Amino acid sequence: MTYIRTSLHIVALPLILIFIWFLATLGEASFFVPTPQLLIETFFETWTSERFLSDVFPSLGRLMIGIALSILIGIVGGLLIGSFRWLRALLEPTLEFFRAIPPPVLIPVIMLLIGIGDEMKVSVIVLGAVWPILLNTIEGVRSMDEVLADTSRTYGMNRVNTVRYLILPSAMPQIMAGIRQSLSIALILMVISEMFASTEGLGFAIVQFQRSFAIPEMWSGIVLLGLIGVVLSFIFQLAERWILGWYHGLREIEQSA
Amino acid sequence: MTSEHSQPTNPVVSQSSIQDTPDGRIPVGRTMPDEQPMLSVQNLKKVYHTDGGDIEAVRNLTFDLPKGQLACLVGPSGSGKTTLLKCISGLMAPSAGEVTLHGQKVTGPPKSMAVVFQEYGRSLFPWLRVAENVELPLKNQGMEKAARKEAVEQALEAVGLAHVPKSYPWQLSGGMQQRVAIARAVAYQPEVLLMDEPFAAVDAQTRADLEDLVRGIWKKLGVSVLFVTHDIDESVYLGERVIILSSSPTIIQEDVLVDLPAERDQLETRSSQRFAELRHHVYEQIQLAKKGFRPEEAAAMR
Repeated sequence: MTYIRTSLHIVALPLILIFIWFLATLGEASFFVPTPQLLIETFFETWTSERFLSDVFPSLGRLMIGIALSILIGIVGGLLIGSFRWLRALLEPTLEFFRAIPPPVLIPVIMLLIGIGDEMKVSVIVLGAVWPILLNTIEGVRSMDEVLADTSRTYGMNRVNTVRYLILPSAMPQIMAGIRQSLSIALILMVISEMFASTEGLGFAIVQFQRSFAIPEMWSGIVLLGLIGVVLSFIFQLAERWILGWYHGLREIEQSA
Repeated sequence: MTSEHSQPTNPVVSQSSIQDTPDGRIPVGRTMPDEQPMLSVQNLKKVYHTDGGDIEAVRNLTFDLPKGQLACLVGPSGSGKTTLLKCISGLMAPSAGEVTLHGQKVTGPPKSMAVVFQEYGRSLFPWLRVAENVELPLKNQGMEKAARKEAVEQALEAVGLAHVPKSYPWQLSGGMQQRVAIARAVAYQPEVLLMDEPFAAVDAQTRADLEDLVRGIWKKLGVSVLFVTHDIDESVYLGERVIILSSSPTIIQEDVLVDLPAERDQLETRSSQRFAELRHHVYEQIQLAKKGFRPEEAAAMR
Protein backbone atom coordinates (compact mmCIF):
# COMPACT_ATOMS: atom_id res chain seq x y z
CA MET A 1 0.00 0.00 0.00
CA THR A 2 2.73 2.45 1.02
CA TYR A 3 4.64 1.25 -2.03
CA ILE A 4 1.83 2.34 -4.33
CA ARG A 5 1.51 5.65 -2.51
CA THR A 6 5.22 6.45 -2.86
CA SER A 7 5.20 5.62 -6.54
CA LEU A 8 2.12 7.82 -6.95
CA HIS A 9 3.95 10.66 -5.22
CA ILE A 10 6.86 10.25 -7.59
CA VAL A 11 4.85 10.30 -10.84
CA ALA A 12 2.10 12.73 -9.81
CA LEU A 13 3.82 16.00 -10.68
CA PRO A 14 5.35 14.79 -13.98
CA LEU A 15 1.92 13.55 -15.09
CA ILE A 16 0.29 16.88 -14.22
CA LEU A 17 3.00 18.80 -16.06
CA ILE A 18 2.69 16.62 -19.15
CA PHE A 19 -1.07 17.06 -19.06
CA ILE A 20 -0.76 20.87 -18.92
CA TRP A 21 1.74 20.68 -21.74
CA PHE A 22 -0.70 18.47 -23.69
CA LEU A 23 -3.52 21.00 -23.20
CA ALA A 24 -1.31 23.95 -24.15
CA THR A 25 -0.27 22.38 -27.44
CA LEU A 26 -3.77 21.16 -28.36
CA GLY A 27 -4.61 24.00 -30.77
CA GLU A 28 -2.23 25.18 -33.45
CA ALA A 29 1.11 23.81 -32.26
CA SER A 30 4.12 26.10 -32.20
CA PHE A 31 6.96 25.05 -34.45
CA PHE A 32 9.35 25.35 -31.57
CA VAL A 33 7.32 23.36 -29.02
CA PRO A 34 6.33 19.84 -30.11
CA THR A 35 3.30 18.06 -28.63
CA PRO A 36 3.96 15.37 -25.99
CA GLN A 37 2.95 12.61 -28.42
CA LEU A 38 5.35 13.85 -31.10
CA LEU A 39 8.14 14.21 -28.57
CA ILE A 40 7.74 10.68 -27.22
CA GLU A 41 7.66 9.34 -30.77
CA THR A 42 10.75 11.31 -31.72
CA PHE A 43 12.50 10.31 -28.53
CA PHE A 44 12.37 6.61 -29.31
CA GLU A 45 13.06 7.16 -32.99
CA THR A 46 16.09 9.29 -32.34
CA TRP A 47 17.80 7.58 -29.43
CA THR A 48 17.10 3.89 -29.87
CA SER A 49 18.73 3.71 -33.29
CA GLU A 50 22.43 3.89 -34.10
CA ARG A 51 22.59 7.22 -32.28
CA PHE A 52 22.70 5.32 -29.03
CA LEU A 53 26.00 3.76 -29.99
CA SER A 54 27.43 6.75 -31.82
CA ASP A 55 26.41 9.56 -29.41
CA VAL A 56 24.89 8.39 -26.12
CA PHE A 57 27.33 5.58 -25.43
CA PRO A 58 30.52 7.67 -25.85
CA SER A 59 29.00 10.48 -23.79
CA LEU A 60 28.07 8.16 -20.94
CA GLY A 61 31.50 6.54 -21.12
CA ARG A 62 33.27 9.88 -20.73
CA LEU A 63 30.85 10.87 -17.99
CA MET A 64 31.56 7.69 -16.03
CA ILE A 65 35.32 7.94 -16.47
CA GLY A 66 35.18 11.61 -15.48
CA ILE A 67 33.15 10.87 -12.36
CA ALA A 68 35.35 7.92 -11.41
CA LEU A 69 38.52 9.99 -11.80
CA SER A 70 37.01 12.88 -9.86
CA ILE A 71 36.08 10.57 -7.00
CA LEU A 72 39.50 8.93 -6.99
CA ILE A 73 41.51 12.15 -7.22
CA GLY A 74 39.19 13.98 -4.85
CA ILE A 75 39.33 11.34 -2.12
CA VAL A 76 43.04 10.54 -2.37
CA GLY A 77 43.98 14.22 -2.61
CA GLY A 78 41.55 15.13 0.16
CA LEU A 79 42.93 12.45 2.48
CA LEU A 80 46.47 13.70 1.93
CA ILE A 81 45.68 17.41 2.22
CA GLY A 82 43.41 16.83 5.18
CA SER A 83 45.97 14.74 7.03
CA PHE A 84 48.96 17.06 6.79
CA ARG A 85 48.60 20.55 8.13
CA TRP A 86 51.59 21.89 6.20
CA LEU A 87 50.22 20.53 2.93
CA ARG A 88 46.90 22.17 3.64
CA ALA A 89 48.54 25.51 4.41
CA LEU A 90 50.56 25.20 1.22
CA LEU A 91 47.76 24.20 -1.13
CA GLU A 92 44.50 25.62 0.12
CA PRO A 93 44.77 29.21 -1.20
CA THR A 94 45.82 27.94 -4.62
CA LEU A 95 43.06 25.37 -4.68
CA GLU A 96 40.51 28.07 -3.90
CA PHE A 97 41.79 29.99 -6.92
CA PHE A 98 41.51 27.08 -9.31
CA ARG A 99 38.14 26.13 -7.94
CA ALA A 100 36.85 29.62 -8.65
CA ILE A 101 37.63 29.33 -12.36
CA PRO A 102 34.56 28.13 -14.28
CA PRO A 103 35.80 25.03 -16.14
CA PRO A 104 34.10 25.90 -19.49
CA VAL A 105 36.48 28.82 -19.97
CA LEU A 106 39.36 26.36 -19.75
CA ILE A 107 38.09 24.32 -22.69
CA PRO A 108 39.90 26.35 -25.41
CA VAL A 109 43.12 26.21 -23.41
CA ILE A 110 42.83 22.49 -22.76
CA MET A 111 42.09 21.97 -26.45
CA LEU A 112 45.35 23.66 -27.31
CA LEU A 113 47.25 21.64 -24.74
CA ILE A 114 45.85 18.14 -25.12
CA GLY A 115 43.81 18.26 -28.33
CA ILE A 116 40.12 17.75 -28.96
CA GLY A 117 39.76 14.05 -28.21
CA ASP A 118 38.20 12.21 -25.31
CA GLU A 119 41.06 13.25 -23.03
CA MET A 120 40.02 16.87 -23.35
CA LYS A 121 36.38 16.12 -22.53
CA VAL A 122 37.22 13.91 -19.57
CA SER A 123 39.68 16.55 -18.31
CA VAL A 124 36.99 19.22 -18.42
CA ILE A 125 34.60 17.00 -16.46
CA VAL A 126 37.26 16.21 -13.85
CA LEU A 127 38.37 19.84 -13.57
CA GLY A 128 34.87 20.83 -12.59
CA ALA A 129 33.64 17.81 -10.69
CA VAL A 130 36.69 17.14 -8.54
CA TRP A 131 36.29 20.21 -6.30
CA PRO A 132 33.27 19.35 -4.19
CA ILE A 133 34.72 15.90 -3.51
CA LEU A 134 38.21 17.20 -2.77
CA LEU A 135 37.11 20.00 -0.47
CA ASN A 136 34.52 17.89 1.32
CA THR A 137 37.06 15.12 1.88
CA ILE A 138 39.51 17.64 3.39
CA GLU A 139 36.73 18.93 5.64
CA GLY A 140 35.70 15.40 6.56
CA VAL A 141 39.23 14.40 7.51
CA ARG A 142 39.67 17.54 9.56
CA SER A 143 36.46 17.13 11.51
CA MET A 144 37.57 13.74 12.78
CA ASP A 145 36.30 12.92 16.26
CA GLU A 146 39.14 13.34 18.74
CA VAL A 147 38.12 10.50 21.03
CA LEU A 148 37.91 8.11 18.09
CA ALA A 149 41.34 9.21 16.91
CA ASP A 150 42.74 8.73 20.43
CA THR A 151 41.15 5.29 20.59
CA SER A 152 42.85 4.26 17.37
CA ARG A 153 46.17 5.58 18.61
CA THR A 154 45.97 3.75 21.93
CA TYR A 155 45.38 0.51 20.06
CA GLY A 156 48.45 1.20 17.95
CA MET A 157 46.61 1.19 14.62
CA ASN A 158 49.02 1.26 11.71
CA ARG A 159 48.76 3.78 8.88
CA VAL A 160 46.87 1.60 6.42
CA ASN A 161 44.33 0.48 9.00
CA THR A 162 43.93 4.02 10.30
CA VAL A 163 42.97 5.22 6.83
CA ARG A 164 40.86 2.17 6.07
CA TYR A 165 38.96 1.89 9.34
CA LEU A 166 39.10 5.37 10.85
CA ILE A 167 39.74 8.29 8.51
CA LEU A 168 37.91 7.14 5.40
CA PRO A 169 34.69 5.96 7.04
CA SER A 170 34.59 8.94 9.37
CA ALA A 171 34.90 11.34 6.41
CA MET A 172 32.47 9.32 4.31
CA PRO A 173 29.30 11.34 5.06
CA GLN A 174 31.00 14.49 3.78
CA ILE A 175 32.59 12.66 0.86
CA MET A 176 29.20 11.37 -0.25
CA ALA A 177 27.72 14.87 -0.01
CA GLY A 178 30.57 16.06 -2.23
CA ILE A 179 30.00 13.28 -4.75
CA ARG A 180 26.32 14.17 -4.97
CA GLN A 181 27.21 17.74 -5.97
CA SER A 182 29.84 16.51 -8.39
CA LEU A 183 27.40 14.32 -10.29
CA SER A 184 25.33 17.22 -11.55
CA ILE A 185 28.44 19.29 -12.33
CA ALA A 186 29.87 16.35 -14.28
CA LEU A 187 26.71 16.02 -16.34
CA ILE A 188 26.71 19.72 -17.21
CA LEU A 189 30.37 19.63 -18.19
CA MET A 190 29.88 16.48 -20.23
CA VAL A 191 27.41 18.38 -22.43
CA ILE A 192 29.46 21.56 -22.61
CA SER A 193 32.67 19.74 -23.48
CA GLU A 194 30.89 18.16 -26.45
CA MET A 195 29.76 21.47 -27.82
CA PHE A 196 33.31 22.40 -28.80
CA ALA A 197 35.03 20.86 -31.81
CA SER A 198 33.20 17.58 -31.49
CA THR A 199 31.90 15.04 -33.96
CA GLU A 200 29.83 12.92 -31.61
CA GLY A 201 28.21 12.91 -28.20
CA LEU A 202 24.96 14.04 -26.66
CA GLY A 203 25.93 17.67 -26.44
CA PHE A 204 27.11 17.64 -30.04
CA ALA A 205 23.89 15.97 -31.21
CA ILE A 206 21.64 18.45 -29.42
CA VAL A 207 23.51 21.43 -30.86
CA GLN A 208 23.40 19.88 -34.30
CA PHE A 209 19.63 19.32 -34.09
CA GLN A 210 19.17 22.87 -32.98
CA ARG A 211 21.20 24.28 -35.85
CA SER A 212 19.37 22.15 -38.39
CA PHE A 213 15.96 23.15 -36.96
CA ALA A 214 15.20 19.55 -35.96
CA ILE A 215 13.27 20.95 -33.02
CA PRO A 216 11.51 17.80 -31.66
CA GLU A 217 14.83 15.91 -31.86
CA MET A 218 16.56 18.70 -29.95
CA TRP A 219 13.91 18.55 -27.20
CA SER A 220 14.19 14.79 -27.03
CA GLY A 221 17.92 15.17 -26.40
CA ILE A 222 17.20 17.51 -23.53
CA VAL A 223 14.73 15.00 -22.09
CA LEU A 224 17.36 12.30 -22.38
CA LEU A 225 19.81 14.45 -20.42
CA GLY A 226 17.22 14.91 -17.72
CA LEU A 227 16.62 11.17 -17.57
CA ILE A 228 20.35 10.48 -17.31
CA GLY A 229 20.48 12.90 -14.39
CA VAL A 230 17.60 11.13 -12.65
CA VAL A 231 19.16 7.69 -13.17
CA LEU A 232 22.51 8.96 -11.86
CA SER A 233 20.93 10.34 -8.74
CA PHE A 234 18.98 7.11 -8.24
CA ILE A 235 22.14 5.02 -8.48
CA PHE A 236 23.83 7.42 -6.13
CA GLN A 237 21.05 7.09 -3.56
CA LEU A 238 21.29 3.31 -3.66
CA ALA A 239 25.05 3.46 -3.18
CA GLU A 240 24.71 6.00 -0.39
CA ARG A 241 22.16 3.93 1.47
CA TRP A 242 24.51 0.99 1.31
CA ILE A 243 27.72 2.86 2.22
CA LEU A 244 26.24 5.20 4.81
CA GLY A 245 23.66 2.88 6.35
CA TRP A 246 25.37 3.24 9.71
CA TYR A 247 25.30 7.03 9.44
CA HIS A 248 21.58 7.31 8.73
CA GLY A 249 20.82 4.86 11.53
CA LEU A 250 22.96 6.81 13.95
CA ARG A 251 21.37 10.12 12.94
CA GLU A 252 17.88 8.72 13.33
CA ILE A 253 18.66 7.58 16.87
CA GLU A 254 20.30 10.88 17.79
CA GLN A 255 17.32 12.83 16.52
CA SER A 256 14.75 10.68 18.29
CA ALA A 257 16.66 10.92 21.57
CA MET B 1 47.53 -14.30 70.74
CA THR B 2 50.38 -12.65 68.96
CA SER B 3 50.81 -15.54 66.57
CA GLU B 4 47.19 -15.17 65.55
CA HIS B 5 47.79 -11.54 64.76
CA SER B 6 50.81 -12.17 62.63
CA GLN B 7 48.97 -14.76 60.57
CA PRO B 8 45.64 -13.30 59.59
CA THR B 9 43.36 -15.96 58.19
CA ASN B 10 41.43 -13.76 55.80
CA PRO B 11 42.89 -11.88 52.82
CA VAL B 12 42.04 -8.54 54.42
CA VAL B 13 44.97 -6.29 55.21
CA SER B 14 46.24 -7.43 58.61
CA GLN B 15 45.13 -5.76 61.84
CA SER B 16 48.62 -4.62 62.61
CA SER B 17 49.07 -2.66 59.40
CA ILE B 18 45.85 -0.79 60.06
CA GLN B 19 47.12 0.08 63.53
CA ASP B 20 50.36 1.28 62.02
CA THR B 21 48.58 3.51 59.61
CA PRO B 22 45.49 4.98 61.18
CA ASP B 23 42.82 5.69 58.56
CA GLY B 24 44.85 3.60 56.15
CA ARG B 25 47.08 6.58 55.72
CA ILE B 26 50.35 6.08 53.94
CA PRO B 27 52.96 8.54 52.71
CA VAL B 28 51.85 10.78 49.86
CA GLY B 29 52.96 9.62 46.40
CA ARG B 30 53.51 6.06 47.47
CA THR B 31 56.07 4.16 45.47
CA MET B 32 56.72 0.47 45.74
CA PRO B 33 60.44 -0.22 46.10
CA ASP B 34 60.03 -3.92 46.96
CA GLU B 35 59.20 -5.09 43.49
CA GLN B 36 59.57 -3.74 39.99
CA PRO B 37 56.48 -1.58 39.44
CA MET B 38 54.42 -2.15 36.34
CA LEU B 39 53.71 1.47 35.71
CA SER B 40 55.58 4.31 37.26
CA VAL B 41 54.80 8.02 37.14
CA GLN B 42 57.75 10.19 38.13
CA ASN B 43 57.45 13.93 38.85
CA LEU B 44 54.91 14.33 36.07
CA LYS B 45 54.09 17.91 35.16
CA LYS B 46 51.87 19.26 32.42
CA VAL B 47 51.57 22.89 31.46
CA TYR B 48 49.30 23.99 28.63
CA HIS B 49 50.56 26.93 26.66
CA THR B 50 47.64 29.08 25.57
CA ASP B 51 47.29 32.59 24.16
CA GLY B 52 45.95 33.69 27.53
CA GLY B 53 49.10 32.47 29.29
CA ASP B 54 50.30 29.18 30.66
CA ILE B 55 47.91 26.91 32.50
CA GLU B 56 49.47 24.46 34.90
CA ALA B 57 47.17 21.45 34.88
CA VAL B 58 49.38 18.95 36.65
CA ARG B 59 52.15 20.19 38.93
CA ASN B 60 54.00 17.20 40.27
CA LEU B 61 52.77 13.66 40.42
CA THR B 62 54.68 10.58 41.52
CA PHE B 63 53.19 7.17 42.06
CA ASP B 64 53.64 3.55 41.08
CA LEU B 65 51.13 0.99 39.97
CA PRO B 66 52.31 -2.52 40.85
CA LYS B 67 51.44 -5.49 38.70
CA GLY B 68 47.89 -6.66 39.17
CA GLN B 69 46.68 -3.78 41.29
CA LEU B 70 43.38 -1.98 40.85
CA ALA B 71 43.95 1.62 41.84
CA CYS B 72 41.42 4.43 41.64
CA LEU B 73 42.39 8.00 40.95
CA VAL B 74 39.84 10.33 42.42
CA GLY B 75 39.85 14.09 42.48
CA PRO B 76 37.56 17.10 42.39
CA SER B 77 36.25 18.09 38.99
CA GLY B 78 38.81 20.01 37.00
CA SER B 79 41.69 18.37 38.83
CA GLY B 80 43.46 17.35 35.65
CA LYS B 81 42.45 13.70 35.82
CA THR B 82 42.01 13.42 32.08
CA THR B 83 45.26 15.26 31.42
CA LEU B 84 47.07 12.84 33.70
CA LEU B 85 45.53 9.86 31.95
CA LYS B 86 46.46 11.20 28.54
CA CYS B 87 50.07 11.58 29.67
CA ILE B 88 50.12 8.07 31.10
CA SER B 89 48.61 6.55 27.97
CA GLY B 90 51.18 8.30 25.79
CA LEU B 91 48.59 10.37 23.95
CA MET B 92 50.14 13.55 25.28
CA ALA B 93 53.72 14.36 26.15
CA PRO B 94 54.25 15.63 29.71
CA SER B 95 55.99 19.01 30.16
CA ALA B 96 58.36 17.46 32.67
CA GLY B 97 58.87 14.16 34.42
CA GLU B 98 58.17 10.81 32.87
CA VAL B 99 55.97 7.79 32.76
CA THR B 100 57.61 4.39 32.56
CA LEU B 101 56.09 1.02 31.81
CA HIS B 102 58.29 -1.93 32.76
CA GLY B 103 61.10 0.57 33.21
CA GLN B 104 60.73 1.84 29.65
CA LYS B 105 59.84 5.45 29.08
CA VAL B 106 56.41 6.00 27.53
CA THR B 107 56.69 8.23 24.46
CA GLY B 108 53.63 7.07 22.55
CA PRO B 109 50.72 4.75 23.25
CA PRO B 110 52.38 1.54 24.54
CA LYS B 111 51.40 -1.81 23.10
CA SER B 112 50.49 -3.42 26.38
CA MET B 113 48.07 -0.72 27.45
CA ALA B 114 44.40 -0.29 26.69
CA VAL B 115 42.25 2.73 27.44
CA VAL B 116 38.50 2.87 28.05
CA PHE B 117 37.20 6.39 27.56
CA GLN B 118 34.26 8.07 29.19
CA GLU B 119 32.57 8.93 25.91
CA TYR B 120 31.66 5.40 24.81
CA GLY B 121 29.56 6.85 21.99
CA ARG B 122 32.64 8.47 20.53
CA SER B 123 35.18 5.77 21.18
CA LEU B 124 33.40 2.94 19.36
CA PHE B 125 33.49 2.94 15.57
CA PRO B 126 29.89 3.64 14.54
CA TRP B 127 30.47 2.11 11.10
CA LEU B 128 31.60 -1.21 12.55
CA ARG B 129 29.38 -3.79 14.20
CA VAL B 130 29.94 -4.79 17.82
CA ALA B 131 32.09 -7.83 17.02
CA GLU B 132 34.07 -5.87 14.41
CA ASN B 133 34.78 -3.15 16.95
CA VAL B 134 36.23 -5.70 19.34
CA GLU B 135 38.09 -7.43 16.53
CA LEU B 136 39.75 -4.40 14.95
CA PRO B 137 42.72 -3.99 17.35
CA LEU B 138 43.42 -7.73 17.05
CA LYS B 139 43.24 -7.56 13.26
CA ASN B 140 45.64 -4.64 13.38
CA GLN B 141 48.03 -6.76 15.42
CA GLY B 142 47.93 -9.41 12.72
CA MET B 143 46.24 -12.10 14.79
CA GLU B 144 45.00 -15.16 12.86
CA LYS B 145 41.37 -15.07 11.85
CA ALA B 146 40.33 -18.13 13.87
CA ALA B 147 42.11 -16.92 16.99
CA ARG B 148 40.54 -13.51 16.50
CA LYS B 149 37.07 -14.95 16.27
CA GLU B 150 37.57 -16.89 19.47
CA ALA B 151 39.04 -13.93 21.35
CA VAL B 152 36.13 -11.72 20.27
CA GLU B 153 33.56 -14.31 21.33
CA GLN B 154 35.23 -14.77 24.70
CA ALA B 155 35.49 -11.04 25.33
CA LEU B 156 31.84 -10.44 24.44
CA GLU B 157 30.88 -13.38 26.62
CA ALA B 158 32.87 -11.92 29.50
CA VAL B 159 30.95 -8.63 29.38
CA GLY B 160 27.60 -10.34 28.83
CA LEU B 161 27.11 -9.24 25.25
CA ALA B 162 27.46 -12.54 23.40
CA HIS B 163 23.98 -12.08 21.95
CA VAL B 164 24.54 -8.85 20.00
CA PRO B 165 27.73 -9.28 17.91
CA LYS B 166 25.99 -8.12 14.73
CA SER B 167 24.41 -4.98 16.15
CA TYR B 168 25.86 -1.56 15.60
CA PRO B 169 27.06 0.12 18.82
CA TRP B 170 24.59 2.97 18.47
CA GLN B 171 21.73 0.50 18.50
CA LEU B 172 22.66 -0.42 22.08
CA SER B 173 22.05 1.36 25.37
CA GLY B 174 24.81 3.46 26.92
CA GLY B 175 25.75 0.79 29.44
CA MET B 176 25.93 -1.85 26.73
CA GLN B 177 28.09 0.40 24.56
CA GLN B 178 30.54 0.83 27.41
CA ARG B 179 30.55 -2.96 27.79
CA VAL B 180 31.58 -3.22 24.15
CA ALA B 181 34.44 -0.81 24.79
CA ILE B 182 35.46 -2.91 27.81
CA ALA B 183 35.24 -6.10 25.74
CA ARG B 184 37.50 -4.52 23.13
CA ALA B 185 40.05 -3.68 25.83
CA VAL B 186 39.77 -7.16 27.33
CA ALA B 187 40.25 -8.92 23.99
CA TYR B 188 43.37 -6.83 23.43
CA GLN B 189 44.87 -8.48 26.54
CA PRO B 190 46.65 -5.47 27.97
CA GLU B 191 48.88 -5.55 31.00
CA VAL B 192 47.62 -2.16 32.08
CA LEU B 193 44.04 -1.03 31.66
CA LEU B 194 43.35 2.68 31.98
CA MET B 195 39.77 3.76 32.49
CA ASP B 196 38.86 7.42 32.23
CA GLU B 197 35.62 7.98 34.14
CA PRO B 198 34.08 5.14 32.17
CA PHE B 199 30.75 5.12 33.97
CA ALA B 200 30.19 8.85 34.38
CA ALA B 201 27.64 8.89 31.57
CA VAL B 202 25.56 5.82 32.48
CA ASP B 203 22.67 5.58 34.93
CA ALA B 204 23.21 4.50 38.55
CA GLN B 205 21.91 0.94 38.26
CA THR B 206 23.91 0.20 35.15
CA ARG B 207 26.89 1.72 36.85
CA ALA B 208 26.69 -0.73 39.74
CA ASP B 209 26.60 -3.64 37.29
CA LEU B 210 29.55 -2.26 35.37
CA GLU B 211 31.56 -1.78 38.56
CA ASP B 212 31.13 -5.43 39.42
CA LEU B 213 32.00 -6.30 35.84
CA VAL B 214 35.29 -4.40 36.10
CA ARG B 215 36.13 -6.08 39.41
CA GLY B 216 35.35 -9.47 37.90
CA ILE B 217 37.45 -8.91 34.80
CA TRP B 218 40.32 -7.50 36.81
CA LYS B 219 40.38 -10.56 39.04
CA LYS B 220 40.09 -12.96 36.15
CA LEU B 221 42.77 -11.41 33.98
CA GLY B 222 45.16 -10.17 36.63
CA VAL B 223 45.70 -6.88 34.80
CA SER B 224 46.76 -3.69 36.50
CA VAL B 225 43.89 -1.24 36.38
CA LEU B 226 44.07 2.50 36.85
CA PHE B 227 40.53 3.72 37.22
CA VAL B 228 39.91 7.45 37.09
CA THR B 229 36.68 8.68 38.61
CA HIS B 230 35.12 11.64 40.34
CA ASP B 231 32.76 9.37 42.27
CA ILE B 232 34.05 8.80 45.80
CA ASP B 233 31.86 5.77 46.54
CA GLU B 234 32.89 4.19 43.31
CA SER B 235 36.58 4.70 44.02
CA VAL B 236 36.34 3.08 47.46
CA TYR B 237 34.12 0.25 46.25
CA LEU B 238 36.30 -0.63 43.28
CA GLY B 239 39.85 0.02 44.32
CA GLU B 240 42.45 -1.71 46.39
CA ARG B 241 43.87 1.71 46.71
CA VAL B 242 42.56 5.22 46.19
CA ILE B 243 44.87 7.97 45.04
CA ILE B 244 43.34 11.32 45.91
CA LEU B 245 44.29 14.21 43.69
CA SER B 246 44.32 17.83 44.76
CA SER B 247 42.59 20.59 42.85
CA SER B 248 44.47 22.00 39.86
CA PRO B 249 47.50 22.37 39.55
CA THR B 250 47.33 18.75 40.53
CA ILE B 251 49.49 16.92 43.01
CA ILE B 252 48.72 13.83 45.04
CA GLN B 253 46.81 14.78 48.11
CA GLU B 254 46.74 11.38 49.69
CA ASP B 255 47.25 7.74 48.84
CA VAL B 256 44.83 5.49 50.71
CA LEU B 257 44.92 1.70 50.92
CA VAL B 258 41.46 0.18 50.78
CA ASP B 259 41.39 -2.73 53.21
CA LEU B 260 37.97 -4.04 52.24
CA PRO B 261 37.50 -7.77 51.56
CA ALA B 262 38.50 -8.91 48.09
CA GLU B 263 34.99 -10.23 47.47
CA ARG B 264 32.90 -7.12 47.15
CA ASP B 265 29.18 -6.90 46.96
CA GLN B 266 27.10 -3.87 46.14
CA LEU B 267 24.88 -4.39 49.20
CA GLU B 268 27.22 -5.92 51.78
CA THR B 269 30.33 -3.92 51.05
CA ARG B 270 28.62 -0.60 50.68
CA SER B 271 26.82 -1.02 54.00
CA SER B 272 29.88 -2.22 55.91
CA GLN B 273 31.38 -0.01 58.57
CA ARG B 274 34.84 0.02 57.03
CA PHE B 275 33.41 1.18 53.72
CA ALA B 276 31.70 4.06 55.50
CA GLU B 277 34.94 5.01 57.27
CA LEU B 278 36.99 4.96 54.09
CA ARG B 279 34.34 6.81 52.16
CA HIS B 280 34.16 9.39 54.93
CA HIS B 281 37.91 9.83 54.85
CA VAL B 282 38.15 10.16 51.08
CA TYR B 283 35.18 12.52 51.03
CA GLU B 284 36.82 14.71 53.65
CA GLN B 285 40.02 14.85 51.64
CA ILE B 286 38.19 15.76 48.46
CA GLN B 287 36.36 18.54 50.29
CA LEU B 288 39.72 19.81 51.53
CA ALA B 289 41.06 19.63 47.99
CA LYS B 290 38.13 21.64 46.69
CA LYS B 291 38.83 24.35 49.26
CA GLY B 292 42.36 24.53 47.94
CA PHE B 293 44.14 22.67 50.70
CA ARG B 294 47.56 21.65 49.48
CA PRO B 295 49.60 19.03 51.35
CA GLU B 296 52.94 20.58 50.42
CA GLU B 297 51.89 23.89 51.98
CA ALA B 298 50.50 22.13 55.03
CA ALA B 299 53.81 20.30 55.40
CA ALA B 300 55.73 23.59 55.14
CA MET B 301 53.55 25.15 57.83
CA ARG B 302 54.20 22.32 60.23
